[in-house]
Amino acid sequence: MPVPILKQGEMLIASMQSNLDDQDLMQLRDEIAEKVGRFKSRGVVLDVSILDVLDSFATRTLRTIAETARLRGAETVIVGIQPDVAIAMVQLGLTLDGVLTALDFEEGMEILVASIERSRQGGG
Amino acid sequence: MSSDLERLRLSPHDIERRKAFVDFRSDDVTRIAAIKDLVVGNAERYKSTFFDYLATIDEASGLTRNRNLLEQAKRLKHEHLIAMVQGDYGSDYVEQRVKLGMLYSRARLDARVFLGAFHVLMHAVGADITKQYAGAPQDGFERFMSLKKIGFLDIGLILDVLVAERERTINLQQDAIRELSTPVLQLRERLLILPMIGVIDSMRAKQLTDGLLLSIRANRAKIVVMDITGVAAVDSKVANHLIQTVAAARLMGANVIVTGISADVAQSLVALGVDLSSIRTMNDLQGGLEEAERLLGYRVVRIDDAAPGFGSRPNRD
Repeated sequence: MPVPILKQGEMLIASMQSNLDDQDLMQLRDEIAEKVGRFKSRGVVLDVSILDVLDSFATRTLRTIAETARLRGAETVIVGIQPDVAIAMVQLGLTLDGVLTALDFEEGMEILVASIERSRQGGG
Repeated sequence: MSSDLERLRLSPHDIERRKAFVDFRSDDVTRIAAIKDLVVGNAERYKSTFFDYLATIDEASGLTRNRNLLEQAKRLKHEHLIAMVQGDYGSDYVEQRVKLGMLYSRARLDARVFLGAFHVLMHAVGADITKQYAGAPQDGFERFMSLKKIGFLDIGLILDVLVAERERTINLQQDAIRELSTPVLQLRERLLILPMIGVIDSMRAKQLTDGLLLSIRANRAKIVVMDITGVAAVDSKVANHLIQTVAAARLMGANVIVTGISADVAQSLVALGVDLSSIRTMNDLQGGLEEAERLLGYRVVRIDDAAPGFGSRPNRD
């Protein structure tokens, strides 16, 4: 099932609805890369709170999404990784270094807004 | 079946198995019946032999100096000697033995000491049987051996009770330690502290990580100060646990500050070549808390000496 991507002001929001297969993940990656450019988004929130497993492919794709979006001018935050999932990921060595993470959606938005604010001040 | 028998898994089937282990058969019942009167008649003396022996041994003082326990033990032992020669060794018999075993366990009676005393008792019984069967030593010996089978059945039961009770105590203590050992405390809104104390093994490390992650979610924590001042030794294994915990917390959106790495621990970690560069560290708990407050946007200000204090509240009139 493809992941719907919502646009909210300067943000793109992708909330995963069910366990995804590799095809869905690649489609999500391509769509976000395209939409970040089309909407001139500054931030992307990837909500994974519904997922009870994040394997190495999914983790790699999430990282790719974050890095691609950064090249296109948007900061990405991954929100809602569950405790069990976090432990499993760490044991597999998937630590998502360099990618922003947050407890939940609200928290993620706060981080993004602060980060965009900082980059504006830095730029202006 | 009583709860004690259930806990020790002494089902009627198991009791039969135990009798088979000591090779107890129906003709043993007949032989024991032949010495029934002798044992019942002298039961009081055998009992005294048992407890007199214990009285000479320091390690048995838990039982011999506790009048209350000693009275109960004497009563149960007397019942035991009578029951030993009745020919009926089912659940009721076993339950009586377990009761006595529990009492020994409460009195912290050492298994070695118990075995010695039991041997002295059996020796006294054997001596009497030998005397009575002086004309037919073969018969006497066989009858004594039949009784000894029951003796070994009893020893098996008592030892199992002692071991099971000791294991139960250890488990209870471990549970208590486990609950005490990993508190996650909320110090301010969104700030948790995790004081780690003692030895960190794999099992504790896992509990610690689980507990911390659940607390991060429950308290919506952003910063965690992990203080390892009280951790006895930090080797590469413990360091890896730390790194994993920090990484997992970060995946949930919380930053971890590790504090309390002593000079020795720091040197040994560097010598081991453990890479802790991914972890934010501060020298002590105070430094960690100040850093955490700074990151959360708090500023702790000391109240000016000139400000109104207790008892000098300005009158508003």
